[in-house]
Amino acid sequence: MNNECDDNKAAGCDEALENLYLYLDSELDAVTSDRIRAHLDECHGCVHSFEFEKRLKSVVKERLDEDVPDVFVARLRTALAREAAGNTK
Amino acid sequence: MADQANFEGDALQYNRQLYSAAMRMTRNSADAEDLVQETYLKAYRAYHTFTEGTNLKAWLYRILTNTYINKYRKDSRRPNEVDLGTVEDLYLYRRIGSEASAEASRTTEERVLDGLVESDIKEAVEELPEAFRMPVLLADLEGFSYKEIAEILDIPIGTVMSRLHRGRKAMQKRLWEFAKERGLLPEGAEKP
Repeated sequence: MNNECDDNKAAGCDEALENLYLYLDSELDAVTSDRIRAHLDECHGCVHSFEFEKRLKSVVKERLDEDVPDVFVARLRTALAREAAGNTK
Repeated sequence: MADQANFEGDALQYNRQLYSAAMRMTRNSADAEDLVQETYLKAYRAYHTFTEGTNLKAWLYRILTNTYINKYRKDSRRPNEVDLGTVEDLYLYRRIGSEASAEASRTTEERVLDGLVESDIKEAVEELPEAFRMPVLLADLEGFSYKEIAEILDIPIGTVMSRLHRGRKAMQKRLWEFAKERGLLPEGAEKP
């Protein structure tokens, strides 16, 4: 197993790496996406980099997620209720 | 047209996501709470203009980002460009892998991904200039599509893609620095 891409797969590697984020963001058309998936099935180097970026993306999401203070949600409901009451007068 | 009577039931479920995004925009909880509350009140008042069955979450985010921009942008004299110098694609991954065997780099990858704490990620995002921070937040925190991000921020989809690309790179560069500071890299890999 090698960290680098094999030379004979270089064309597939170029396409895969160029489209890495589009692939992970699910922004590719089905044909390109399938072609990249097929390349990933046989290229350890690319799989390795794709897996890293995918994990990084999920780590970022997970660690940016905030707990909303309960008191704030309560205040939000009160503000909306007050707004609604004001409207019906 | 949506019925105002259903607003709370329809829209309040997004409070956690809106609050998380607002925290990264304003950088503090008091302003984030104000921003989210103002967003909900504006959305409530305008709910009759919302077309039922269309994307409510994206609609709320559009109000959130516009409110943020109108209210807070004037305070900001921060540069609106990221200095990427010679930052290559997959910066973090390539840095980690550059000086080690495949086996060793996998170990370092694990250590970096596990070892970067919440505050590192938050700071790396908050330091991004607004034009780059917004697309990164909308894509990576919220999982919006490029098309949705273009509509929320009212910019062309090509601009979304290039800002997202540059924003993520700048973020990775900062995360690499945090990884170094935290000693997450093996001996010899600490060279800049």
